[in-house]
Amino acid sequence: MRRLLNPVTLLSALVLVVTLIAVIWPGLLAPYDPFDSVGDARLEAPSAAHLFGTDALARDVFSRVVYGARLSLLAAVLATTAGAVLGGLVGLISGTAGGRVDFAIMRVIDVMLAIPGILLALIVVASLGFGAVSIAIGVGLGATGSFARVMRAQVMRIRNEEYIEAARTMGLRRPTILFRHVMPNASQPIVAMASTELALAILAVSALSFLGFGAQPPTPEWGSLVSDGRQFIATAPWLSIMPGSVILVVVLAVNGLARNLGGNR
Amino acid sequence: MRSAGRLHRAGPVLRFVAPKVLQALFVVWATYTVTFLLIHALPGDPVLAALAVRAGDAATTDPEVLDALRAQYGLDGSILHQYVSHFLALFRGDLGVSMATGYDVSDMVARALPKTVAVAALALVLGFVGALAFTIAAYLARPQWLRGAISQIPPLGIAIPAFLTGVVLISVFAFQLGWFPASGADGFASTVLPAITLSLPTGAIFYQVFSAAVFEAGEAGFVRTARAKGLSQPVVIGRHILRNAVLPAITIIGLQIGYLAGGTAVVETVFSRDGIGRITVDAVLARDINVVTGVVMVVAVIYAVTTMIVDLLYGVLDPRIRTRVAAKPRTRSHAATPAGGDDA
Repeated sequence: MRRLLNPVTLLSALVLVVTLIAVIWPGLLAPYDPFDSVGDARLEAPSAAHLFGTDALARDVFSRVVYGARLSLLAAVLATTAGAVLGGLVGLISGTAGGRVDFAIMRVIDVMLAIPGILLALIVVASLGFGAVSIAIGVGLGATGSFARVMRAQVMRIRNEEYIEAARTMGLRRPTILFRHVMPNASQPIVAMASTELALAILAVSALSFLGFGAQPPTPEWGSLVSDGRQFIATAPWLSIMPGSVILVVVLAVNGLARNLGGNR
Repeated sequence: MRSAGRLHRAGPVLRFVAPKVLQALFVVWATYTVTFLLIHALPGDPVLAALAVRAGDAATTDPEVLDALRAQYGLDGSILHQYVSHFLALFRGDLGVSMATGYDVSDMVARALPKTVAVAALALVLGFVGALAFTIAAYLARPQWLRGAISQIPPLGIAIPAFLTGVVLISVFAFQLGWFPASGADGFASTVLPAITLSLPTGAIFYQVFSAAVFEAGEAGFVRTARAKGLSQPVVIGRHILRNAVLPAITIIGLQIGYLAGGTAVVETVFSRDGIGRITVDAVLARDINVVTGVVMVVAVIYAVTTMIVDLLYGVLDPRIRTRVAAKPRTRSHAATPAGGDDA
């Protein structure tokens, strides 16, 4: 109970609730249309009317950030889910099979962990083409290795537990044991890890979108908003700094909650 | 007898070095294989993709022209042939030809590498020193809340997006104060802001290792002994605690190189610098698979060689490992004697 009243946790939860609203009903938060100019107020500094100022086409930057949440966060969630499912499956196979299969799989995983995640993502984007989906696949592939490791370690631990032995002596089939008994018991560290990986995925996705591999304009995306503002950095630094700070706050909020989940271990 | 004795002396060194060299070769080969499989398993024809970016809808689809281009870029022949020939070419330093620019990829990388290394090296130093400063500050901080507050700061280095750091630094130190150039790659001054940007995640990783080692060493018996001997606080920290903290930090240099290699793509874009990262980003934008593969391989080689050197250095720096290596053949030769007798 004390954990729930922790101010960091409360603040993180609040930030994430607001972010979730931005993803599902952006119209509730955004005061303006993200694609239309609001008169001829170009490159205006932040004010009460325009919290994050306006961009070179006189669009409200705050509204663009709110509408950008959906694509940026969905890509990050997709990446983390793909990494967790793929990595979890690989780890499950590796841990259950043991022996040579396990050895071979783990060497491949070692290499995937050695290649920097962003380079792995760049290879995928260069082969698949641009867009939020290929970014998500690239980032997810980068996270697969760590998920596989954790899952394998869990399977190794659970394999020798008494209740598994009991299930085996009861004559349960192997897939049943795997999915009914091993998976549920192995999933908690995976969930804890997924929340940490989500923060990293938000960073990686926004970095790739900043580099120009994400959605094409005028679709707003957090990373590309920062990149759009970069050319006005001398006169209108808030154009980049505001969306960038939103990414930082959301990442910190995810981390703040993730630490709580991890603390359960 | 004499030469056998010399061999015996060379034995432990060779036995120590050989596995590390093999491991480095394995990392390079495996990275190559994973990259190759990824590119060929994903849908799409790399040559067509690169042409479409360059020429749009006007891109040629004439099969003869395409075949000629495939041969030019080394993307012709069977998959197995490509796999083997490109790998062997690596050892000649041949990374193929860029599909977007027509230049030799090795030349492109060789020209860009020094600029990237200048920033990365400075970032490593800054991250190392910064992490050390935070570690000592956290260790010395007496009230529990102050220590807690200080140790909350370094992990922020990983959470903050590199483009945000870069943009804030440019707007404050380049445009408002005018201390450093906002972009370009001329001279030392231009490396400072990019290096600070890269040093944040680097420092955060160093801090994790330092603080774990320092707080562990702080509790250790030898530190209590040193204090009991009446040694002053700076001497205890410098001579006994930090020494134990720096050694594990060396082992994560490989990990740091991975972070730096990934980070340069963003940092060089923010600061409009030429370098490996910029080349990679341009290559991805042009769907130039040859350059992307080339850069990945260069990073893999740097990573593998650094990890190998660190592993070897560790043996020199840490006496415990040295004696373990030296002790090994003795125990082995004891075990080997009866077996050898049986053979005879």
